[in-house]
Amino acid sequence: MQRGNTLETLRTSRDEQRSVIESAQKALGRIILGKDPQITLALACLLARGHLLIEDLPGLGKTMLAQALARVLGLSYSRIQFTSDLLPADIIGVSVFRQNSGEFEFQPGPVFSQLILADEVNRATPKAQSALLEAMEEYQVSVDGNTRQLPEPFFVVATQNPGDQIGTFPLPESQLDRFLMRVELGYPNEESERELIAGKDRRSMLEEIEAVTGPDSLMALQQSVRDVHVGDALVDYIQALVRHTRESADIEIGLSPRGAQALVAAARAHAFVEHHSGVYPDDVQAVFTAIAGHRLKPAGGTRFRRPSETCQHVLDSVAIP
Amino acid sequence: MARPRGTDGSLLASLPWTLGALGLSVAPHVPYLPAWITFAFFGCAVWRYMIEKRRRPLPSAWFRAALALACFLGVLITYSSISGVGPGSALLAVMASLKLLETRKRRDQFVLLFISIFLVMSSLLREQYLWSLPYMLGAVTVIMTAWLRMSASPIESAKQSFAIGGRLLLYAAPLALAMWIFFPRLATPFWAVPIDSSRATTGLSDTMSPGDISSLSLSNEVAFRVSFDNQIPDGPDRYWRGLVLTTFNGRSWTGREPAISTTARDQIVTEGDPISYEITLEPTRQQWVFALDMPVMWSLSKTFMGPQQQLARSAPIDQRVAYKAISHPEYRVEADLPEVYRNWYSNLPADSNQRSATLAREMRAAATSDQAFINAVLRKFNEEEYYYTLEPPPLGSNPVDRFLFDTRSGFCEHYASAFAVMMRSVGIPSRVVLGYQGGEINPLGGHLIVRQSDAHAWTEVWLEGVGWQRVDPTAAVAPERIDYGASGAALEGLGDAWGLSAPSELLHRLSLSIDALNAKWNEWILGYGPENQQNFMKWLGMDDPNWRKMMLTLIGVVVSLVMLISVLLMLRYRPPARDEASILYQRFIKKTGLEPIAGETAIEFGRRAKEADALPDDVIALITEAYVDARYGPYREPAFERLKVAVGSIT
Repeated sequence: MQRGNTLETLRTSRDEQRSVIESAQKALGRIILGKDPQITLALACLLARGHLLIEDLPGLGKTMLAQALARVLGLSYSRIQFTSDLLPADIIGVSVFRQNSGEFEFQPGPVFSQLILADEVNRATPKAQSALLEAMEEYQVSVDGNTRQLPEPFFVVATQNPGDQIGTFPLPESQLDRFLMRVELGYPNEESERELIAGKDRRSMLEEIEAVTGPDSLMALQQSVRDVHVGDALVDYIQALVRHTRESADIEIGLSPRGAQALVAAARAHAFVEHHSGVYPDDVQAVFTAIAGHRLKPAGGTRFRRPSETCQHVLDSVAIP
Repeated sequence: MARPRGTDGSLLASLPWTLGALGLSVAPHVPYLPAWITFAFFGCAVWRYMIEKRRRPLPSAWFRAALALACFLGVLITYSSISGVGPGSALLAVMASLKLLETRKRRDQFVLLFISIFLVMSSLLREQYLWSLPYMLGAVTVIMTAWLRMSASPIESAKQSFAIGGRLLLYAAPLALAMWIFFPRLATPFWAVPIDSSRATTGLSDTMSPGDISSLSLSNEVAFRVSFDNQIPDGPDRYWRGLVLTTFNGRSWTGREPAISTTARDQIVTEGDPISYEITLEPTRQQWVFALDMPVMWSLSKTFMGPQQQLARSAPIDQRVAYKAISHPEYRVEADLPEVYRNWYSNLPADSNQRSATLAREMRAAATSDQAFINAVLRKFNEEEYYYTLEPPPLGSNPVDRFLFDTRSGFCEHYASAFAVMMRSVGIPSRVVLGYQGGEINPLGGHLIVRQSDAHAWTEVWLEGVGWQRVDPTAAVAPERIDYGASGAALEGLGDAWGLSAPSELLHRLSLSIDALNAKWNEWILGYGPENQQNFMKWLGMDDPNWRKMMLTLIGVVVSLVMLISVLLMLRYRPPARDEASILYQRFIKKTGLEPIAGETAIEFGRRAKEADALPDDVIALITEAYVDARYGPYREPAFERLKVAVGSIT
């Protein structure tokens, strides 16, 4: 088909992309009730080519969200339940000797999927954790001296129970940094909970979900996200926020330059989802807690008990230029 | 059949502007249009507005088609033609009115505004007055504004649209000027505007029946302006020769159609000093060409002298013309007139105005010579009870008798006619000359204004050895008519009649200033024809100007002007500074009266302002959207312009 008008094509494709995102949001919203901001954040995280850490108490729908994401986005999906005896090979795969061919054959592990759900990632030993975290960083794994590319796109959605539970190995800050966002789900509101209790079974609903897009168009969306405009005024704002995290008495370690980059990338994706003409301060604010919450180290004796409170305080203290 | 849908009222905001623009472009035509078309326009305009306001459906296609046909036939019947300026503009005006009734979308409004531009310009085909240019500029600015109103955002004020429209016209002005200067004026145009033959002629009529006119209305319209090379002749010498009437049928005098005479010019024997001057003659739609008595040279093309030394052009004067001429106030014409011609000029109908003839014969018998007789008749007018009035009583079938013996009052035509009849009664050849007498000197322009109210009739009598000699019997009755001119005399009379003193000096001065301006306008703007253009081109250094060279120059000038204007605009253009949008936004915050909170985004603030009902919701939405886009979006400039307009609308 001949494309006569480039601008027209661009506009159409933008409209198409918008409708893809909207239907994804809608489909996810039907499964995960009353969590629209978190759904938007999760989508934005994937669009920004970031990995997602969902942290909350058990039974709040963490796994459900990850599964629903995979289905809606039409990605190949595998789940790894992290346990204390999980070995790296359980994640990456092993080479098996085939007697009929007389050769070693690589049996790919669950990591060779487009979307990995790493369930209860803090239950495994640091060794197993780092096997996954390296794959997240490199987009490839090395087995028996061979480097194997992971499929594209490649997302890890990890869930984690808050670290104060018994028998866990909390991820160190450097490892946490590999996750673009950390999202807390929280309890559903009363209305949503009622629907959850009385309504249809979520698992069977999950089976019925149709994919609204596929790996290829998802990558096209990711490409579009990188083109979202970031103005000078917004860079000023990001810098002001970052500076504040470093200078604030409530925060011991502020955001690193990589943290600032993550903030911009996530804000771009959020602006894209929200169909803004460029990245607005609203987008930065929307993703800020998810980006900075696990990257900041609160100062001892701070009045804020939770990272989200610290982050909100930063947002409330920095004037928008 | 589908039920007709009502209009959605989306044009309600811009429609009054469109109607206003259309009204302004129809207005200059109104004095020339038949009344029914003006009514049709008003009717359609009001009707269309009410349709929009009440959300009624537009009239059906059948109805509109029938109406269009009726209007077309109406124009055809009124003018019995559809070509020419009159029927053409009438058709355009009435069809524009009908177009209103099918104006459904913005596109139709565009069409209407195009028609407006065309209508307003077509009024220039009729007349180009001094005020035409400012009117035209104003009307086009309003049309531009109407245009902008159609696409204006709901909070853009009319003043802002008007300013933008004016600015656009300002950019176009140098281009228009260049076009005016360089667009080749051709001596023989490719096309000519057909002039309405039905149009009433101003100026002199070529018959004279004094008894039939009971009231002479004085028109202040300018007949022509004269600028003299040296000094201006005195009032009593300013006789502007027009046409000559030679035949009297007992009631009215008639002349001959303009015809060339090869000998007329040679019959003039000049004496004394010549006077050189230039006349700018307003269109008369007649062939007669006026000149100071007695013209010997004239520069107007295709103009010839008739057998009675009257000047005429082979084509009617449909446009203002300027020509130079030389006249000799002292002259002799046809000192020897053959017997046949003498009889021709003494011919009277057999049985009319007998009393006058008898009186003339008696007076001639009492006088020693023809000259003495002439003086006696003039003395009679002067000394007996004869009055000069502009409102004479009607005279009936023997007008000269009744005038001389009964009513004894009249204006120049009565005296000229009576005098010529008396001369002819005793065999002295005589004829009546129509033209203008006098004129007012405009001290500001240094020129002489001759108005329609200066129209005059006088006589010429032929005497043996002397030739044709001018005798003005009116001068014997009302010397002030000749000394001060008709306007002065009439104005004084007018003042008396109304119990007022003469019009105030200030008003008079004002009218003189306007006249001086008008004269310059005619000379420099409207008079910029082929000849002046050639001269101007030569002055600019173009040798042998022809239309090709002028066209190329025009293209060159236009292209460089466009480039110059673009460069100037580009140089003037300054992308909005980074903080400029926030300065504007601060004004909006102040206007809402709300305290901004640290860390609050513009969108959040907008939400808060909406909840507080600080300003209309759409204003808040527009400003917020424009600000965020101008500050954080990829295309800052257009968003900044929107913000400027939006904030401008609330402050």
